[in-house]
Amino acid sequence: MRLIATDLVKVFPGVRALDGVTIDLRPGTVHALLGENGAGKSTLIKILTGVHKPDGGTLRLVPDGWQAPGDAAGGAGGRELNFGGPADAQLAGIGVVHQERNLVPAFSVAENIALQRMPRSRGLVDRAAVRRLAQGCLAELEVELDLDRPVAELSVAQMQLVEVAKALATDSRLLLLDEPTSSLTSEESDHLYAVVRRLRDQGRIVVLVSHKLEEVFAVADTVTVLRDGRSVARGLALGDLTRSQVVDLMVGRAHADIELGARSVDPRATPALELEAVSTAGGHRDVSLVVRPGEILGLYGLVGAGRSELARAVLGLDTITSGRLLVGGRPVTIGSVGQALREHRIGYVTENRKEEGIFLEQTVSRNVAVTVWDRLARWGVVRDRSEDTVLARYVDRLGIRLSGPRQLAGQLSGGNQQKVSLAKWLAADCAVLIIDEPTVGIDVRTKAAFHQLIAELAEGGLAILLISSDLPEVVTLADRIAVMRDHQLVGEVDNDHHYTTMSGRVIRLVHGESPESGAAEAGASETGAPRPGVPAA
Amino acid sequence: MTLPSLVETAGPSSPRVRASLRGTEVVLAGLALAAFVVLAVTTGGNLVEPATLRAVFQFLAVPMVIGLSQMVVLAVGQMNLSVGVLTGLTAVAAAALMADRGWPAWLAVLAALVLGLVVGLANGLLVVLTRINGFIITLATMTIISGVRYGINGTGTYQGYSDGLVSLGRASVLGIPTVFLAAVVVAVLVWLFFARAVRGRQLLASGGNPLAARLSGISNDTSLVIAHALSGLLAGVAGVLVLALSGSVNASIGDDLLLPSFAAPIIGGVALAGGVVSVLGTCLAAFIVRLVDVAQAQYNINPRWVDLVVGAVVLGAVLLSQKRVGRGGT
Repeated sequence: MRLIATDLVKVFPGVRALDGVTIDLRPGTVHALLGENGAGKSTLIKILTGVHKPDGGTLRLVPDGWQAPGDAAGGAGGRELNFGGPADAQLAGIGVVHQERNLVPAFSVAENIALQRMPRSRGLVDRAAVRRLAQGCLAELEVELDLDRPVAELSVAQMQLVEVAKALATDSRLLLLDEPTSSLTSEESDHLYAVVRRLRDQGRIVVLVSHKLEEVFAVADTVTVLRDGRSVARGLALGDLTRSQVVDLMVGRAHADIELGARSVDPRATPALELEAVSTAGGHRDVSLVVRPGEILGLYGLVGAGRSELARAVLGLDTITSGRLLVGGRPVTIGSVGQALREHRIGYVTENRKEEGIFLEQTVSRNVAVTVWDRLARWGVVRDRSEDTVLARYVDRLGIRLSGPRQLAGQLSGGNQQKVSLAKWLAADCAVLIIDEPTVGIDVRTKAAFHQLIAELAEGGLAILLISSDLPEVVTLADRIAVMRDHQLVGEVDNDHHYTTMSGRVIRLVHGESPESGAAEAGASETGAPRPGVPAA
Repeated sequence: MTLPSLVETAGPSSPRVRASLRGTEVVLAGLALAAFVVLAVTTGGNLVEPATLRAVFQFLAVPMVIGLSQMVVLAVGQMNLSVGVLTGLTAVAAAALMADRGWPAWLAVLAALVLGLVVGLANGLLVVLTRINGFIITLATMTIISGVRYGINGTGTYQGYSDGLVSLGRASVLGIPTVFLAAVVVAVLVWLFFARAVRGRQLLASGGNPLAARLSGISNDTSLVIAHALSGLLAGVAGVLVLALSGSVNASIGDDLLLPSFAAPIIGGVALAGGVVSVLGTCLAAFIVRLVDVAQAQYNINPRWVDLVVGAVVLGAVLLSQKRVGRGGT
């Protein structure tokens, strides 16, 4: 079969996640899907797997042997698909292996593989048939696994293979692999690539979503690149492209260069926060970075690179195994968030505000005053009114929209909850703020206001470590950008606030390339060198 | 420079705040009043006879305090299955100290409170140190305490341990039974703890969102230990109330307190998941459950129906609160 998506559009409140995506997936190919964070990859995957309904465009399935008149991508043919839910996509032969595991740990390998289509006889599970089905799927992958072993006892790589086999069990002709090697060793990855090639040679379609360019060039035949919700390269043959050209496709046209609050950071000032060759129990190795008062250090990296975990180690939530942590120039050890806050004035604005930043059933006042209860209290007693006073300082400054200080935090919008969780740390009078993905899931207008606010905080002398997967955000705000990959810093660049050059450098670092070749490349493209495959915009 | 303020209207300062919780309290108050009036009328005014009325409130004291004892652990998202037997243990132990060792009543009362606090502390420390679910821990300690109760004096009954304490427990001030007054004082203190004290707020923060609490510099472990210790202390208070009111105690005391301990807070609108408490709701709910008991006595209903009614009301209250959460959620 062949799957053709034409001009897909998907709109979420405040965001046009997909704005005309066309992708042509042919049998017997490994098709790479590339794009930076927020380019629309996840949304496209969700549409292909029936999780989301597109707001525009069509999905068509062309059976094997169908010869479309003329150019197939534009011509009519096949059957139009309208998925009512993930089950429909499965029936159409589309299987997906998500980045996160979807296995039942206590079930055996065979049971997991057969889970979506448990063979039954007389109302009971037919155990022999389950084993036959699982054995067949594993044989197709040429993989040997003990069918009766609980999945919990397998290695991560073996679980990955069980996931692939599980997708085959539902007769998938198209397999979506989302970052399949993100937690595999290189040897395990090679094994998986061999499986992927085997699937391709059986005539299936494999869609590979990956952030590793070397991986893409090693196994994929064709590539579609998404940028800002559009497909800017559609099914180009990877053999005709260089890595630099692919990076250029992802970076794309220049964004409007915005520089917020030209800050002057004294490079000789004592760093507010300094990490010296820090390694952690969470897997970080030799991470060194410096944030000075009045400075924003952007920490960019892909999801899973270990940025939030690094913040947690600084806060004492994860163990630092070697290296030094210095606050205001003095070496410190931090055992708890309370200590980080009270003794070292380090605050952490979390990425998951609903899960970790907000007390939904408490008043907004309490949510903001939680970090300063000790200071407000007399004889261990706090008055609601003194909490309201704390909140009042931030309502106008942050533009928090509420009906009153005693409104429940759970009734606020996401953006306002994020502001409340920020206000809590401002109230605590921190010297260092670690801000983790501040604008995820926030509408454009609030996002701009947030950026303005963060810039002002730095101008006010705060040292800010900005963790973000949003490259335009980092380029807009940061003074310097450190790039993390696989729990290590792979480079640091001074931010010149020109999106085109900066994003090229940063993305090259993320993909394991040298930033400098990128600088030269981007320089060349600025002088008007043509970029292959990029439609003239 | 300030951000563009997006404030639409700065409305009145506190309406709709805990609207849902207030709603529960208002409904419960109405229900309690209506049930009381209906009972008073249908029993031909028997209920409002001074003696009956006194008994109604005397025997409300222990359910109120035991409900609060459960409520403080529910606040941090835990349960304490040992509250009932701990009430019995503290009562029997204090009686033994007075009757067998000749301790003065005030010292025995103090000992009962300390015993409750220590056992609660042990519950909390076990939960924190072992990381085993509090339900399992207190299930185990419940069984242990239950055995220890019988270890003190077997199935024997203590009587006449302190005439002074019992006459105080059965006395009234301005027509209000002293044990009920004591329970009201305890309720006010618990209310103040959650409404005003930093510790109380930290307990609610830990219960409502442990992750956020931890990232705000609050020690969830400390919150758990304090909640369990407080729960034990309140069970000790309940034990003292039993001691002062009944005049005769044995090791079976507390066996029938476990369901009421959950019934009061749950009907009272306390979130089982933690983070939300209502002292007033818990007390009103204890009163309503008490009225079910009274109705049984007044109408000579088979006692089995009481448990059935209370059980059904608990179930209904949980269903209602789930609906409410579903509606209020964002």
